[in-house]
Amino acid sequence: MSNLRNKPSSSNWFKWFDPRRRDVGTFAFILNRLTALGLTLYLFLHLIVLSQLSKGPEAYDAFLKLIANPIYMLGELLVIVAVLIHGLNGIRVGLTSFGIGVSTQKQFFYALMVVAIICSLFFAARMVIG
Amino acid sequence: MAEMTSKQITSENSGLWLIKIITGLLIIVILAIHLVVNHMLGTEGGLLTYADVVAYYQNPIIPIMEAAFLICVVSHCLIGLRSIIIDLHPSQKVLTNITWLLTALGAVSIVYGIWLLFAIVAQG
Repeated sequence: MSNLRNKPSSSNWFKWFDPRRRDVGTFAFILNRLTALGLTLYLFLHLIVLSQLSKGPEAYDAFLKLIANPIYMLGELLVIVAVLIHGLNGIRVGLTSFGIGVSTQKQFFYALMVVAIICSLFFAARMVIG
Repeated sequence: MAEMTSKQITSENSGLWLIKIITGLLIIVILAIHLVVNHMLGTEGGLLTYADVVAYYQNPIIPIMEAAFLICVVSHCLIGLRSIIIDLHPSQKVLTNITWLLTALGAVSIVYGIWLLFAIVAQG
């Protein structure tokens, strides 16, 4: 329970950002939360941008040309990485919440993150080459 | 009585937690389908053009699936945001207000999304 030292509350919320003396479980939790916040931002951006679809073919196809730019493609890649990390980590959270695989949680987390890295590299390559 | 009014909320509601897990699972399934269709079945190098999107939405199962996807994602997201707030141990009053805000945001997002689905189908 050493991570209780960094336990945040509204008066010391900045302790959330202290990276010292945390074990891998806390790191997994932090990764899940950070990707969650990033994906929340993406979700609302995505919903807003899709309104372009209601404005007809010129508006939407112009938008597609805009996002072919490398900056946006990098952003897209970040979203994919966030989805992979959050989704795979989420599977672990869901299973352990029902008591499945609790004792092998650490190895499961490492394995899932390796899968996330491999898939991320695959999609990055696809983006650069395709 | 003083303890009751300043009591801090420290744990998630179990019903909301269950919804978060169920929507999470549904998202994994529907997201896979959503990504394949939007990135691999278009006419020009995979990504759907406007014409592709409108054509694909004419099949009624697609707007239904996308509406379900929208509801799952918005619910999962906002319940998750609320969980993050709960980790700051808010008072019941603060949490109730935040819950109302998040619910309103969710309702607006879902209504907007479903309106957009109708708008897209109508273009075809």
